[in-house]
Amino acid sequence: MISPLEIAELVLLLAVVLLTAWLYAPFIVKVFKRTPSRVDKLLNPIENSIYKLLGIQVDRSMGWKEYFFSALLVNIAQMAIAFVILTEQGLLPLNPMHFHGMSWDLALNTVVSFATNTNLQHYAGEMTLSYFSQMTAIQFLQFTSAATGLCCGVAMVRGFILQSKGLGNFYVDFVRAITRIFIPICFVAAIILVALGVPQTLSGYITVQTVEGATQQVLVGPVASLVSIMQVGTNGGGYYGANSAYPLQNPSPITDLVQIFLMLLIPTALCFIFGDYIGKKKESLPIIVGAYALFAIDLGIAFIPNPVTVGPGLETRFGGFMSTFWTVVTTAVTTGSVNASLSGIHPLAILAAFMGMLIQSTPGGKGVGLMYLLMYIIITIFIVGLMSGRTPEYLGIKIVARDVKLVMVAFLIHPLIIIIPTVIAYASGAAAAIGMGPNSLGFTQILYEYTSSAANNGSDFLGTLGNTPFFNVSTAIVIFLGRYGPIMCLLALSGSMLGRKRATATESSLKTSSWTFSLVLVASILVLVVLTFFPFLALGPILAYFQGHLNFFSLGLWV
Amino acid sequence: MPEENKPKWRKHARPIIGMAVISLLICGLFFPLLITGIAQATMPYQANGSRAYLPNGRLVGSYLIDNNFTEPVFFQARNQSLTASGVDPDITVPEAQAQVPRISNWTGISQTTLLNLINSNKEGTFWIFGSPYLDVLNLNLILIQQYPQIYQKYVANT
Amino acid sequence: MSETIAVSTSNTEQRTTKTSEERGKTPGLFRLISGKVLVDSVVRLNPVSLLSNPVMFIVEVTFFIVLAMAVDPVAFAHVASLSLRAFYIEVAAILLITVWFATLSDSLAEKQARTTANSLRKIETEVMTKKLVIEGGETKVVPTPSEKLRKGDVISLEKNDVVPIDCDVTAGIAMVDESLLTGESTPVRKAPGDQLIGGSKIISDSLTARVNVNPEETYINQMIRLVESSKRPKTPNEQAVTIVLIGLTAIFTIIIIGMLGLSITLGLAADLSVLIALYVCLLPTTIGALLPAIGLSGISRLYERRIVAKSGKSIETAGDTDTILLDKTGTITVGNRQAIEFLPFDGHTEREIGEAAFLSSWHDDTPEGRSIIRLAYERGYIPKELNALALSEVYEFSASTRTSGVKLQKGQGFMLPKTGEKGTKGRFRRKFADVSLPDIEPETEGAGTEDEQESEIIKGAPDSIRALVKSVPAKYDSVLQGISQAGDTPIGIERNGELLGLIRLKDVLKPEIKDKVQDVKAMGIRPVMITGDQPLTARNIAKEVGIEEFVPQAKPEDKYGIVRKEQAQTRVVAMIGDGTNDAPALALADVGLAMDSGTQAAKEAANMVDMESNPAKIIDVVMLGKQLLMTRGAVTAFSIANDVAKYFAIVPVLFATTLPQLESLNILHLGLHTAVLSALIFNAIIIPLLIPLAMRGVAFKPANTMTLFLRNTLIYGVGGIVAPFVGIKLIDLLLTLVFHL
Repeated sequence: MISPLEIAELVLLLAVVLLTAWLYAPFIVKVFKRTPSRVDKLLNPIENSIYKLLGIQVDRSMGWKEYFFSALLVNIAQMAIAFVILTEQGLLPLNPMHFHGMSWDLALNTVVSFATNTNLQHYAGEMTLSYFSQMTAIQFLQFTSAATGLCCGVAMVRGFILQSKGLGNFYVDFVRAITRIFIPICFVAAIILVALGVPQTLSGYITVQTVEGATQQVLVGPVASLVSIMQVGTNGGGYYGANSAYPLQNPSPITDLVQIFLMLLIPTALCFIFGDYIGKKKESLPIIVGAYALFAIDLGIAFIPNPVTVGPGLETRFGGFMSTFWTVVTTAVTTGSVNASLSGIHPLAILAAFMGMLIQSTPGGKGVGLMYLLMYIIITIFIVGLMSGRTPEYLGIKIVARDVKLVMVAFLIHPLIIIIPTVIAYASGAAAAIGMGPNSLGFTQILYEYTSSAANNGSDFLGTLGNTPFFNVSTAIVIFLGRYGPIMCLLALSGSMLGRKRATATESSLKTSSWTFSLVLVASILVLVVLTFFPFLALGPILAYFQGHLNFFSLGLWV
Repeated sequence: MPEENKPKWRKHARPIIGMAVISLLICGLFFPLLITGIAQATMPYQANGSRAYLPNGRLVGSYLIDNNFTEPVFFQARNQSLTASGVDPDITVPEAQAQVPRISNWTGISQTTLLNLINSNKEGTFWIFGSPYLDVLNLNLILIQQYPQIYQKYVANT
Repeated sequence: MSETIAVSTSNTEQRTTKTSEERGKTPGLFRLISGKVLVDSVVRLNPVSLLSNPVMFIVEVTFFIVLAMAVDPVAFAHVASLSLRAFYIEVAAILLITVWFATLSDSLAEKQARTTANSLRKIETEVMTKKLVIEGGETKVVPTPSEKLRKGDVISLEKNDVVPIDCDVTAGIAMVDESLLTGESTPVRKAPGDQLIGGSKIISDSLTARVNVNPEETYINQMIRLVESSKRPKTPNEQAVTIVLIGLTAIFTIIIIGMLGLSITLGLAADLSVLIALYVCLLPTTIGALLPAIGLSGISRLYERRIVAKSGKSIETAGDTDTILLDKTGTITVGNRQAIEFLPFDGHTEREIGEAAFLSSWHDDTPEGRSIIRLAYERGYIPKELNALALSEVYEFSASTRTSGVKLQKGQGFMLPKTGEKGTKGRFRRKFADVSLPDIEPETEGAGTEDEQESEIIKGAPDSIRALVKSVPAKYDSVLQGISQAGDTPIGIERNGELLGLIRLKDVLKPEIKDKVQDVKAMGIRPVMITGDQPLTARNIAKEVGIEEFVPQAKPEDKYGIVRKEQAQTRVVAMIGDGTNDAPALALADVGLAMDSGTQAAKEAANMVDMESNPAKIIDVVMLGKQLLMTRGAVTAFSIANDVAKYFAIVPVLFATTLPQLESLNILHLGLHTAVLSALIFNAIIIPLLIPLAMRGVAFKPANTMTLFLRNTLIYGVGGIVAPFVGIKLIDLLLTLVFHL
């Protein structure tokens, strides 16, 4: 267990996050409801000229299909641009270190990974990417994938609004998400990060003679701007291969806490927007309770072992406590950034990380976490709501067979794209080829790779080890399906809510805005999601724990 | 693509491709360049990597990056192969204290002085947060500055 | 003439008394088990017939796989071993028993449904008819139960007979009351060539008619057959539950295939039979096995209450009811008012009113009229003019005058009533066959015959009486208001233009209706009372039963508007109806319960029919709907919650040989060899243990939705997590200690 002081630190930080998010949530609602605001004067001319240039009818609301496919196709177009930039960076400007273009499979993996908010990195940015690539491929996709996720989340919410005519206009949502939410927050965040020591320069790496006379390179670059969106957008892909363990990306405990705060901010705020958006404020309760209760359970599991002060794979300035905390947070909001090597993390903290990635909504990535929570609410209402003696309904909408079908398909995607590739990785020898032996530690790392990909988290054990055609392509497929499959199902679900008969809540309907329901929701998520993967977790982190491993450096054996 | 679908396809192609390009301009160029400009103008020290200099003005690296000290007269960082970044510039207080006898032996600086130096240069705590650690490069630069004779060799190295 | 009144009571009442004895719990489930049921359950093990139940089908597939492992372990090279052959046989046996438990529950539920449906049919066809058979040129009357009638049979219908089935008139002319079927109160003249509708009543003369439809083609019979059929369509909710079960099955299939793949590629040496055991334990077998039985039993429970539903869906919808429209008459009150007091005005005595009321009500065969006579009789106000009644002129009640009465002719030679069976008492006994009369000798015994005046007695609505009399006392209006305010109905009575006083009629609440209304309200359902009464009277009745909302002065046609108004506010509405006027509202309402005594139009518009024609049963229907949904939810939640314990039972054993460290997960400390069997046995045995729950439904006390939700979640959700931990451990102890496995 951790010390009372550390518990106080956790509680305090989370309290600040919850408070800020609660205050910020109404602003998000205003952005997407297009409520007039003070920033209109500045931003309306810019946004309107974009709409005009692209021929976008601002007031035309889309059905789920058009919304989804607009998002998907815009994402694919962005992937294509980024793919060209990455493979051809040798010909492009701002490449002071003269890096070559990426291989096709690594570039494919990278663009899919970044355009889907996953940010699995099979490369080390500081050794691979030019400044231009970091800015116009990586940061670019980090903004757009975050905005896409947020838009889809909001679009899903719109389906639940009474008398909603459509899910909104994707292009308008997308533009406003960038101009009014991400750019402003990232601007503040980036300036704070620079002030706290994160570099932001376009002049090349600095070559110096150390005090003792050896030659050293100080790897600077446009880091702060990238780190701001990577955390705010719950992307997680760092400027450096070592991510936020690298001192220039995360120089001190203060920047560490700032980055944790940034990761949690929007996902937490999104938990509050739901009730506000649909005009029933109380309906946010199961969402916020569900997300934070599960988050607390994750933290509880991660902190069963006493975190080490400092150990292999950890950075001195963070120690075991902050590294473990970060690991849980980064998986709870599917960011995937790390401030330590995952190999240095205790198996139980890794188990907690798995839980965050499997549940995907504790509180989850922006937009998508909210979507998953709504999905869990619907399945929970369906399974346990019957026990109240009424046909299950949510917000007065009867849950019919088609809804259940869509939810079950969304539900099924995860086991399918995690388990099958894991087995194939072992069966094909691809795992053994990169040294992941048939033991609890190796198995944990492979399972983690696909879980992280499927959950669009992006943290991984493998790092550059994963830069093989097998892992590049297989994770790219998993990432793609893990992103767009559930989003499609859930937008279809939401789209089908439009125009459906709905009852105004009566005395006799199940109150989803109650603590009772919220707690049942937590229990059913644990049973339906975490337990499903129990046999696999038993072979990975749980076995590693019973075998007495304290981290993933030692060689694990089955027997 | 069948002929009759072409106009519809074109209709969609414009916002899709246009949106991809415009978002690239805003997010990939405008934003990082704006931040770079502001950072360079207002906080050049941090923006350029927290550079560290010897008393004589020679640039020796960044305070945030391990300076690879190997000689016994200096405080030394952890074995970098065991850190996450490979360039961890910091050590814990006990790790620093454990090096005091060796440095004292080699330099003749009293252990008390070194322990005081450690105590007065702890970083990383604020209010209830964080646990203290020491930046190795910072400690060594202070030693060099305070004991120029002892560390003469490194200053003269220019 | 009075003799004809003394015929038996209506069929409806007979049914009510009979079935209320039979009702109650399902007759012992074990009594349903018969050789036929067992054979049927075994026949259902046929994999093809199991296809409609995907979970059970898969369990049977796994049975065949394990059986194959037992037969030839060598063929399963990496995943089976010769030494475990006995174990495979045990596992296979349990798997087969698991499937059999499921088919047994199906067979039992169908048996139950058939049994109750058959008993319903008997009731439907209890009416005896007079079938005419021509034998050797001579027409004979053969008493025949209506169910035995065939198309083309000729029947004789006499006054007061109920037409048993649709037929065509072949001879005779008669007046027929079709009011129940058409809502038209005027009797219709029927001559040869006209159609008679089943359920109408002959009110004068007699007829001969030819049956034009077979009894099994009647509406009720068709409905019974629809829900009884084994191809009963799944209700929307059942479909949705099935999708969840298929989804979970797919997830666990991926998990198990993944485990198998890993075990082989990583050399973990998991035995296929143990993996299959884990798989079957994780599958939602409990709900998978009981889902069909739960739905069918819901219908059976309706049958038990003598209600036939058109579809299973309507029962589920009943559970969603937000608003329940209750007709005051028949639902809240016993259907008629009862006289409780005679209120004489100045200058008249109670006896005067009593006797006048008696006389004026003698020809009034409505329950109200009978109650007036009864009250007069109980108080000893038996008029000396009794015998004159036979020759009196009767003023039938008419809606326009809203009065009825009698004119006793002058000089009819009033005679003293006789006592004994042939006299007054006997006449009463015949007239009031259904009520027990107090043993009072009429005080009029031996009274004189001096008053031989022509006498006209009229009773009726106070306003109408006011117009008929010379004068009314000043307090007339205030007395009337006082009566109305108390929720009672005043009837004025006059004799020869002189106001005698008032009769107070009281609405009598049905027994238990107050509690039922409380139950309805406790569940968050709004009861709305509909009545033709004045607002004041309506308010009082409503207040007495605890209903806040009521619609006074409503005509049957108004129900449609009320239903529409409620539905516009997105409420689910349940209602009852019997007349043709009710049909549009019944069709519109989400849950419409028609009375069997009602019109064909009403029955066709409704989605349920109550064979006992007891409108208060609409409340039972709502409760049954809730119970059905609750039962399905409870078993589903229980089934899924069970998985928690099963993981902990089997996963430690799965890799026992290669990964002994996982023994730490064996928190139940199960035996290495018995853990799998214990979990599998628990998984199987829980099915028959829950069959009674599935077939009787979850017991519940009416409470609001959240209370029910919390209670059921604790019992079946939390209970579903705890129960298998206890159960599996007990079975494990039994296996190790008793059977030394």
